[in-house]
Amino acid sequence: MIEVIISALVLASLYGLVAIGISFTWASIGMLNLAQGFIFTAGGYAAYLFATFAANAHVSGAALSIGVLVAGMLGSAMAGLFVGAIAFLPLHDRENFRTRSLIATLSISLIGTQFWLLLFGPQNQPLPPIFGDGRVEIGSAGISYGQLGTLIVALLVLGAVIIWMRSSRAGLQMRAMMMNPLGAAVVGVSVRKTGMQVLAISGALTGLASVLLAQVFFVSPTSGVQPLTVGLIISLAGGLGSIPGTVAAAGLIGLAEALTARYLQQSFVPFVLFGIVLLILTFRPRGLGGLLEDVRE
Amino acid sequence: MAILELTSVSAGYGPVRVLHDINLEISAGERVGLVGLNGHGKSTLLSTLVGLTGWQDGSIKFEGEEIGGRRTHGTGRRTPHIVRRGIALAPQGDAIFPGLSVKDNLDSGAYTSASWRTRKERRDRVLDVFPPLAKLLGQSAGTLSGGERRMVSVGRALMSDSKLYLVDEPSLGLAPKISLSLVSALSSIDIGDGAMIIAEQNLPLLAGRVDRILGMHAGELKLDVGEALGDVPPSAGGHH
Amino acid sequence: MSSQETKKRLVGRRSLRPSWPVNPDRVFRRRRWPFSKRSMLSLQGQFNPKNLSRERALQDKKPLFWTVGLAALLLIPLGVGNQRFLALFGVVCIYAAINVMWTLIIGTAGLQSFATLATVGVGAYGGGYLGITYHLPWPLMLIAGAVFGALMGFLISLPARRLDGLYYALLTLGLSEFMRNFVTASDALGGKFNGALFGVPMIVPSKLMQGRLGQSLSFITTFILLLAALAVFRWINGGRIGLMLKTAATSKEDESFASAIGIDFSRARTWVFIIASAALGFIGAFYASHIGGTSLQIFSLDLLLLLLAMIVIGGLGKAEGAVVGTVIVTFITQWFVDWGPWRIILVGALALLSVLYTRNGLFGLKEQLREIRQRRQALYRASITSRYAEFLPQQAPEIHDKGVIADRVFERNLRAGLRDSISPDVIAEHQAKPLGQHSETLERILNYFRKAPIPDKYAVYCTKPFESYRVVALSGIPGVPPRVVDDRIYPSLDEAYHAVFLRRVNDLRSS
Repeated sequence: MIEVIISALVLASLYGLVAIGISFTWASIGMLNLAQGFIFTAGGYAAYLFATFAANAHVSGAALSIGVLVAGMLGSAMAGLFVGAIAFLPLHDRENFRTRSLIATLSISLIGTQFWLLLFGPQNQPLPPIFGDGRVEIGSAGISYGQLGTLIVALLVLGAVIIWMRSSRAGLQMRAMMMNPLGAAVVGVSVRKTGMQVLAISGALTGLASVLLAQVFFVSPTSGVQPLTVGLIISLAGGLGSIPGTVAAAGLIGLAEALTARYLQQSFVPFVLFGIVLLILTFRPRGLGGLLEDVRE
Repeated sequence: MAILELTSVSAGYGPVRVLHDINLEISAGERVGLVGLNGHGKSTLLSTLVGLTGWQDGSIKFEGEEIGGRRTHGTGRRTPHIVRRGIALAPQGDAIFPGLSVKDNLDSGAYTSASWRTRKERRDRVLDVFPPLAKLLGQSAGTLSGGERRMVSVGRALMSDSKLYLVDEPSLGLAPKISLSLVSALSSIDIGDGAMIIAEQNLPLLAGRVDRILGMHAGELKLDVGEALGDVPPSAGGHH
Repeated sequence: MSSQETKKRLVGRRSLRPSWPVNPDRVFRRRRWPFSKRSMLSLQGQFNPKNLSRERALQDKKPLFWTVGLAALLLIPLGVGNQRFLALFGVVCIYAAINVMWTLIIGTAGLQSFATLATVGVGAYGGGYLGITYHLPWPLMLIAGAVFGALMGFLISLPARRLDGLYYALLTLGLSEFMRNFVTASDALGGKFNGALFGVPMIVPSKLMQGRLGQSLSFITTFILLLAALAVFRWINGGRIGLMLKTAATSKEDESFASAIGIDFSRARTWVFIIASAALGFIGAFYASHIGGTSLQIFSLDLLLLLLAMIVIGGLGKAEGAVVGTVIVTFITQWFVDWGPWRIILVGALALLSVLYTRNGLFGLKEQLREIRQRRQALYRASITSRYAEFLPQQAPEIHDKGVIADRVFERNLRAGLRDSISPDVIAEHQAKPLGQHSETLERILNYFRKAPIPDKYAVYCTKPFESYRVVALSGIPGVPPRVVDDRIYPSLDEAYHAVFLRRVNDLRSS
């Protein structure tokens, strides 16, 4: 039972990272980034390329692990900047930005999948294990190094980002930007520059999730679809723009998924998830933490 | 020497031309009042200085450097860059961030790394100018009253090391007592060798608190406002 | 003069309306659609000043384009006759029908719903299941599909009222995935065969499908489906509900205003949604019987994104955009199969270009170019306008009576001149002697004031002879009393005259 909860938490934390990237981008620049799947896959392949290079250069151990993680985050951050250059920069001050950026990111997603297919082929690519093969015993349950490491890294990075957002100048500017564009302009905040920074950061978070998830699954051209879908569901349930809401929703949904798979049937999972989201949206149409929406002027 | 020089500046929004060939010079240490009726171009003039109009034409020199120039689209794209040269604007309608606390709102005005480091001292200085804000630091800015919002907006403009302060209609929508204290506070701020332009509809409020008063009528600058009002005796007044 | 003055500028635009001479002695019988008052073509009689004859012109060329386009869509595949071609255009017609209904939902009803394929699938599986289990003939199956679609539409329309547009879009996006899981989990609906149904009764019997006749018939049925979809679109979009919804197409403020005068948006939207969903269910059932079965592919996200690309490229909100976009994208994906993944990349790139550079796809280009031209003209005019020019020659073609332009320019210059001539001396002169002989300047000013039109002209009202007078403004309308201008009471007529003069001077100054 505990192992079920643990694996659920691990999955939830990773999907939650993707969800936070989506939520944060929406809150800051008002763009719903449906190309997050593309960005996710980009990180996976960047890490894969590094792993291949590292294998040839005989890098191993901690250097390999850290290198893979950093390569993944960098790759996704660059993919995020790419998406921003196409879908955000040209459109952000024109009319109908929301809808148009939605369609633009969808198109990038469409093209991107085929692009990965062309470059890397359809086969699943594994990544080297980052945390080693051991297990830790806690009472009657066991948790693998992989799961433990994933949880710790994910929570650490997430915590660091949240703290940075609340206390740094750039974080303040990012939060302020979408509340009042005129106000942001008169305090010297360039929406274009800061928006790209937002996309890079959310990309890096997604890349981290990608590398960590690839410990369990594989890197493939369509590996971004599931995280995107689940990430969207979590953002939706948690409230686009609310970090605490998204974290809560991630936990809830991860738990629900694990419990359903364990005690009911695996095939019931989508129904349960859908039902939970519908329930949440019925009583709080803006998600669990949707209060942020009301403060936008 | 002149901090701000406008030569033949015109500006407008789309097909409407609001400013017609404005020529203006403001020297260091000057506090200037800009008066005129609603819709005659006061706010547009301030917006033109930071590039927020639909289009503009003519030369604007700030501290000798050109910040204006012919532009036909892209409202606000250059504004952050112009602002960073040392111009602080407290816009009409405040433009504060409703979801952030008053403290965060003020801190957002310290946008350079140097001013960010000294933000505590700067905040204290702003609180000296606007004492009522001291109790409201932790409160969300969306819940403030009109006068408090105005103070936050102007206070935010004071948080950076700007050479030119632009205040757009400080008394708009405020009770007379509050607007009086606000404008008095504005006139008491030490601007050093910078300059301040206050655009205001209420002329008596500015009397004695600024060095010079410029009049704006139908998009044209009329200096010597006193004379222009002189030849229409008060008995026939009353056209709003 | 600037270089812009020397460049030749086209002045005004004329639109090309096909016109032909008619015999003015014959009575014109306007052709109307049966059982309605709607005319088939928008014809208007006009007089040709060049050859002094009577003509009739077609005001709206759209029916022509539609007729030609649809005829081409029907005849070209039939003419080519090759099986692959016919099958491809069959698919084009079905997808186009889906897209036209989707355009009805997104454009007319304004609901950002991605539930299209889910609804189509519901109709396909529902109708197909009934068709197989109860051996229904295909007309009943199609109706069953429509009923399922309407039910689905009703269910999905419920969250639309509460959720914000974006949230609703995401929710419906996940709906297709949900339906896919539902179908896979349900054994009865083909879970055994991985979600595929077989043996659905077909419209054109499968025996005939081998030969050219059968294939052509099959294609013609899909074409009729498309015509039906277009008819539904026209009926709703061009009819009362569509007009009601269009009153607030642009913004939320217009919507509250329209609601205040009695237009129930919520209800109208729900109705459009249900009708469109019923149509989608019908199309789904049709699709099932067209190919004799269904598969999970109908719920695939890739197909949904392709459909989205079709309406984006064609133009959101327009039926012609939906059809043309479908033709383009389906052609790329189905004809050039050996291009492999490059097909999707091309489609994605087209959609991206569409959304980045055009305001509304292919069929929004005309309006976009017009707006760009107008904006540039407006900027040009604004930048060369000086205070004393009322109209520029470029604006002349928009005004029929050229005398108006000359009048206004004259007025402007006159007012400017008089404004400059008002000085404290003139005012003092009038104050000293309002009636009687005046200097030339004052006389000119007074003449101008006296020529003003009566509505809103200042006058003196005597409340008590020789004691109190007030200033009023005449209304100009018989039976409507003048309005009081202010509370001041003047003890003598001369002072009242002067007050009127001062008011008029002020008005002149602020004009």
